[in-house]
Amino acid sequence: MPLAEAVPNPYQPSLVRIHDFLDETPDVRTLRLQFVDDNEAGGFAGWEPGQFGQFTVFGAGESVFALANAPWRPNGDRASAPTIECTFRMVGKVTSALRAMSKGQVIGFRGPYGNHFPVDDWKGKDLVFIGGGIGMAALRSAMLDVINRKSEFGDVVILNGARSVGDMVYTDEMPGWQEVDGVEVVRTVDPGGETEGWDGEVGLLPNVFEGLGLDPDGRIVIACGPPIMLHYLFLSLGKVGYSPDQVVTTLENKMKCGIGHCGRCYVGPFSVCRDGPVVTWAELNELPKDY
Amino acid sequence: MESSWKLTDTQLRKWLSGLLDGNSVVAPVEEDGVLLFRPIASEDQAVVKPSGKTRWSPKEFLFPRSEALYRYNFKGGTVQLEDPPVPEEHQVLFGVRSCDASGLVRLDEIFLSGTKDRLYAARRENTTVVSAACAAADVECFCTAVGYSPVGEEGSDVQLVPLGEDWMLRVLTDKGRDLVSDAGDGWTAATAKDGKRIAELEKSVAGQIERSPVNREWSQVLEEGFEHGAWDRLAQHCLGCSVCAYVCPSCSCFDMNHEANAWCGEQCRSWDACTFPLFTHHASGHNPRETKQERYRQRVLHKFAFREEDEDPFRCVGCGRCVSLCPAGLDIVNTVSAAVEAIREEGADAAR
Repeated sequence: MPLAEAVPNPYQPSLVRIHDFLDETPDVRTLRLQFVDDNEAGGFAGWEPGQFGQFTVFGAGESVFALANAPWRPNGDRASAPTIECTFRMVGKVTSALRAMSKGQVIGFRGPYGNHFPVDDWKGKDLVFIGGGIGMAALRSAMLDVINRKSEFGDVVILNGARSVGDMVYTDEMPGWQEVDGVEVVRTVDPGGETEGWDGEVGLLPNVFEGLGLDPDGRIVIACGPPIMLHYLFLSLGKVGYSPDQVVTTLENKMKCGIGHCGRCYVGPFSVCRDGPVVTWAELNELPKDY
Repeated sequence: MESSWKLTDTQLRKWLSGLLDGNSVVAPVEEDGVLLFRPIASEDQAVVKPSGKTRWSPKEFLFPRSEALYRYNFKGGTVQLEDPPVPEEHQVLFGVRSCDASGLVRLDEIFLSGTKDRLYAARRENTTVVSAACAAADVECFCTAVGYSPVGEEGSDVQLVPLGEDWMLRVLTDKGRDLVSDAGDGWTAATAKDGKRIAELEKSVAGQIERSPVNREWSQVLEEGFEHGAWDRLAQHCLGCSVCAYVCPSCSCFDMNHEANAWCGEQCRSWDACTFPLFTHHASGHNPRETKQERYRQRVLHKFAFREEDEDPFRCVGCGRCVSLCPAGLDIVNTVSAAVEAIREEGADAAR
């Protein structure tokens, strides 16, 4: 067979319908999407936490979002089709157009792309998830995967920081996470971001993390957030005694193609969409400071 | 499997004329005094023995400046998707310099590795490269300084070697054999003596290139000196116009955007460059390469450092177009050697 016929078009997305959505904050929305074509749903054999997708608003363009729900696993006695969830902030042309769409409308999805969190390697270990702002979206799949099978892991701390109370995402589901045995949710807002009646912490994430006084021994830290937050968080982690291979994060460079071709997400030799986005702090230290 | 023939200029032109039957032939053509690769309708349009190289590399015939990746129509509350047809016509890229033929292989390493690019793969499958070894170096050439050769075979299916007034035609691959199934009228088999002239030609053209070589171990030095202050000085004159990337035979970065109206649209790919500020600009406003120093450094290091293995070729093939066409007179070879010198003299961490 000629090569040309054998190569599928990597850029043509699957059609997915907006089944439901939830407004997390005034500018952050979580979408629940279902495949329009059941056959394509069947071909989408789940994903691993940490992977991402390219979401198309036809007429506006594509945006990269993390796959934010617990990984869907094909299962004989489960008739339901796979659902994709993503959480995005309205910041540009595509996300503004996406925000303007309503239930039942059709968008495009291609993926999953990239590597993933090594969740199975964390079995038996204590975990801390640290998410700053919309960075929580990249952690949610792994958090839900861990919470769904909590008995396989040690204690779990979820530390969620936001600029202000109104910017905090996943507030509806956090009480449910907190109820799981061995899961502790700590919420913090930047100084000045608190409101009357706020019962969480007030302080920058790295400081609040240090204040928790968690023993680094055998613990895995999974952190995601803006570059400036990660910069100060790594300083704190080093100070408290974590080694770089205990810390996992995601690189969030600008991506377009998702398959390592378009060239914009390179950090030195590392193509974030193809070789990442999940990296350990140790791996990050080997890369040029170009992210 | 190699077969080689000796042809006169007239015989070569006759063969070229025959190629037009059943192929789209792309060859150097003079347009308003500028040499460019263009599809030709008859062999006399082609400049078979040009005195310089084409202004642009032939990469756009595999990786067009702009193309639709897929199309869509809005219909009844949903969307109908449509793949663009893959190009089916066979094309011959004729008279491609050795550096440009290697440039195509550097593109293959991007578009055909991992997830393959459908449109690129189709064009590549349907393309045969007839390269022409260089009879002389142009003033901007530096292929030998970066590990390539004026008579290099990489990426060539058929290679033409200029032997004075005559040509040697060498079939190098199966695809080349499909193009040269039989010797043409009056062709004679090339002799061992003709073969030896390739090495002589290489030596003579290399002798015209007055650039000191870029050493392979410099990749490591450049990576170690990533944050060296020399980049401020080296990039000072860069205008950020990105002509270097556009004319480069191996630059492959692209942008993707949607063009649409109320009824239909398409996802378009177009050439892009790491020297543009928007290339890495996040929607959040964060930009890992905010300054032109960082962007220029990225372009230079992506060519000369960040190689997976030490033996991997540089991604710069030494055609010299970026040097001759840079409006600010920047010279990538001088930049590399100046950066390496500064990093070695002042230490990798010398502050910005």
